[in-house]
Amino acid sequence: MSSPNGLVCFTNCLLPLEDGSLVERDLWIDERRGVILDSQKTFFLRRERPDRVIDLGGNILSPGFMDIQINGAYGFDFSVYDGDDEVYRAGMRHVAERIIETGVTSLVPTIITQEKSLYPKLLHLLRPFASPTTATLLGWHAEGPFIQMAKRGAHAPQFLVPARERFASFEELYGAQNLVDQEDWLMAEGNDVGVRIVTAAPEIEGVMPSIPELIKRGVVFSIGHSIATTDIATHAVYHGARLITHLFNAMPQLHHRDPSIIGLLGASPSLYPFASTPGSPASPASPASGSWHARQTSLSKRLAQLQIEGPGSPAAAPKATSEAFDDQQTPPQTPILRALASTDDLNLRKGKVEEAFERPFYELIVDGIHSHPNSVRLAYSSYPDGCILITDAMKILDPHLHDGVHEWRDGKRFVKEGDKLYLEGTDTLAGSVVTLDKCVRNFSRFTGCSLGEAIKCATFNPARCLGIENKKGTLRSGADADLVVLDRKGNVLSTWVKGKEVWTKN
Amino acid sequence: MRLIIRQNPASVGEYIANYIAKRITDFAPTADKPFVLGLPTGSSPIATYKHLITLVKNGQLSFKHVVTFNMDEYVNLPEDHPESYHTFMFREFFSHIDIPPEQVNILNGNAPDLIAECNAYEAKIKKHGGIELFLGGIGEDGHIAFNEPGSSLASRTRIKTLAYDTILANARFFNNDVEAVPRMALTVGVATVLDAREVVVVVTGQRKALALCKAIEEGVNHMWTLSALQMHPWALIVVDEDATAELHVKTVKYFKSIERVQDEVEAMHARFKKDGNVDQPGTMDA
Repeated sequence: MSSPNGLVCFTNCLLPLEDGSLVERDLWIDERRGVILDSQKTFFLRRERPDRVIDLGGNILSPGFMDIQINGAYGFDFSVYDGDDEVYRAGMRHVAERIIETGVTSLVPTIITQEKSLYPKLLHLLRPFASPTTATLLGWHAEGPFIQMAKRGAHAPQFLVPARERFASFEELYGAQNLVDQEDWLMAEGNDVGVRIVTAAPEIEGVMPSIPELIKRGVVFSIGHSIATTDIATHAVYHGARLITHLFNAMPQLHHRDPSIIGLLGASPSLYPFASTPGSPASPASPASGSWHARQTSLSKRLAQLQIEGPGSPAAAPKATSEAFDDQQTPPQTPILRALASTDDLNLRKGKVEEAFERPFYELIVDGIHSHPNSVRLAYSSYPDGCILITDAMKILDPHLHDGVHEWRDGKRFVKEGDKLYLEGTDTLAGSVVTLDKCVRNFSRFTGCSLGEAIKCATFNPARCLGIENKKGTLRSGADADLVVLDRKGNVLSTWVKGKEVWTKN
Repeated sequence: MRLIIRQNPASVGEYIANYIAKRITDFAPTADKPFVLGLPTGSSPIATYKHLITLVKNGQLSFKHVVTFNMDEYVNLPEDHPESYHTFMFREFFSHIDIPPEQVNILNGNAPDLIAECNAYEAKIKKHGGIELFLGGIGEDGHIAFNEPGSSLASRTRIKTLAYDTILANARFFNNDVEAVPRMALTVGVATVLDAREVVVVVTGQRKALALCKAIEEGVNHMWTLSALQMHPWALIVVDEDATAELHVKTVKYFKSIERVQDEVEAMHARFKKDGNVDQPGTMDA
């Protein structure tokens, strides 16, 4: 089975490249080191060629899929800790072992809002976990508790908190040891790849000023469960936010006069000229004109307004401070961010303009339920390179599970109907049970994009968002040989981890 | 010299591939006595490589005991540059066949001492007992390998400055930036090619028609280096219909008539060998 010289050549296959194309090309890997090889260098410099050649019969050889938001699967819920570390670790391993049948080779376990004392423990347990036969758990995604009451979704209202002490509040809640600098955090376990994601609402007190410090320490900041207006959301991106959590869900609907978080996908180059002046995007350049001051003033005013309605008063109705929030009223004024009168020449060349503002990545749950296919296509069309497919799956995710009533927790029960999941006795969506490979297939159908482009949204895009595209989600030489073989309809045929086949379809 | 005319580039490639396959198989190479093959780059030989790959994948041909020498390589272009001849050969041919990497020889255009590199290359060819079959293509100006017009017909492997025509022609591979095209190359000489026991040249396309005409209908001329092939005892040129556009009708008819008896010639040759005679290069129509 294994190759005498440890090198394997996959041939007669289509490779999805980083530009979304599918090309007929061979791929060479080193199964002992578990990495993808530069085949030409191996041939001319190492003077070796693979002893083992695997004919994939015209199928697709993709980087393994990456799910950066998944709450649990196969009966295990990452957010449930019953006091026993070993039980929890066994649960992590169980998910990592089983999930490979869906083509996922790396995932970021996601913790929904918890009672605060649990965070340091859970996040500590969720250090990167890799084994030779399972998917890799890349770290953690803390969704909450610094989120907007009005957009809390299934998060427990009593646990939502503001970050009054700014970054210190984050440290206190998540545990300082879990927020140390990326290098130290990885070194503690001898890992070379690991990620941390925080989903928070930038309008919540103390969140916005904490973003730069989180970024500095290597944490990915994602805007979510938020009612941020366009200017607040934009400001969050300038501070370093680079992701939007489950786009369309738990955020204001798209209003054309204040397109809010969703509007970031269409960020107009005319509105963000100041980003082109020197200075890091995380700290907006010093004011170039008076209009910047005007923006800042109105921004702090808006933040203040929103905080009045923020956590601490769970009973308070989600009053619409964003125009986008109220469908009845016509906003009294045009957006605060207005185009600067520019004397620059207009672009005479057809094609992409140079973007001064880096639009954030955005997650889409493509189960056909959480976002309408039209919405999925709309988002993708506006910014294809930022699209990331996620499952946001609940512990009930298991492609072998039959439809019907299933136990959840606290005596509550789910009703599963295909990819739909309800709380028993209600028509409230209780999360997702779609697998990522199905999201990829759905996405290609919903948007009309090629299978290669859909694959990119479950591999290269998330890896790039997390800054690990040299190791995961790619077929570059030197990357981990985590692979999935798909037929031309996008069905998973086999999954490979670090150069070894770990799952095959019967 | 023989000239074989086929309908289109694909059938030219198929013809040459089958021809080379037969030569390798008949040679019955072993580890101790490998078949030594000279190889070109460029668009012309791609169809040949494609068909050779098919033969290998079908198990009808193996390069396990074949040693290759490539004709040329740019100077100072990184080996892994998309337009380097290392990259070309790996992408179009070597990655798809079963040749052991240590049996592949390509000039190193990044060697610190380029002259020493060229001399070592010649010596290595000699050490292998010379090249059994050299496959080549030509440029529009009739150059074989990078032996541009005006090259000595007695030339050996050396550093060569590219002709301006060649630089312009190659600019399309370097984002149409003439400045980015390497100015120099290492190349085997005309004499290195002629030293091979057999030379097979592929010429396809209307653009090569004048060069073909100059090479076979006029005299040996260093301004059309392929014409040196006229001095070789066992040379085969395979062309498509388009490439014959500048030839006399008489020339075309003559070579077509030769081809008609070729099967007969080869059968005779085979009988001759079977009867225990030593293989003689050339045919009655050489």
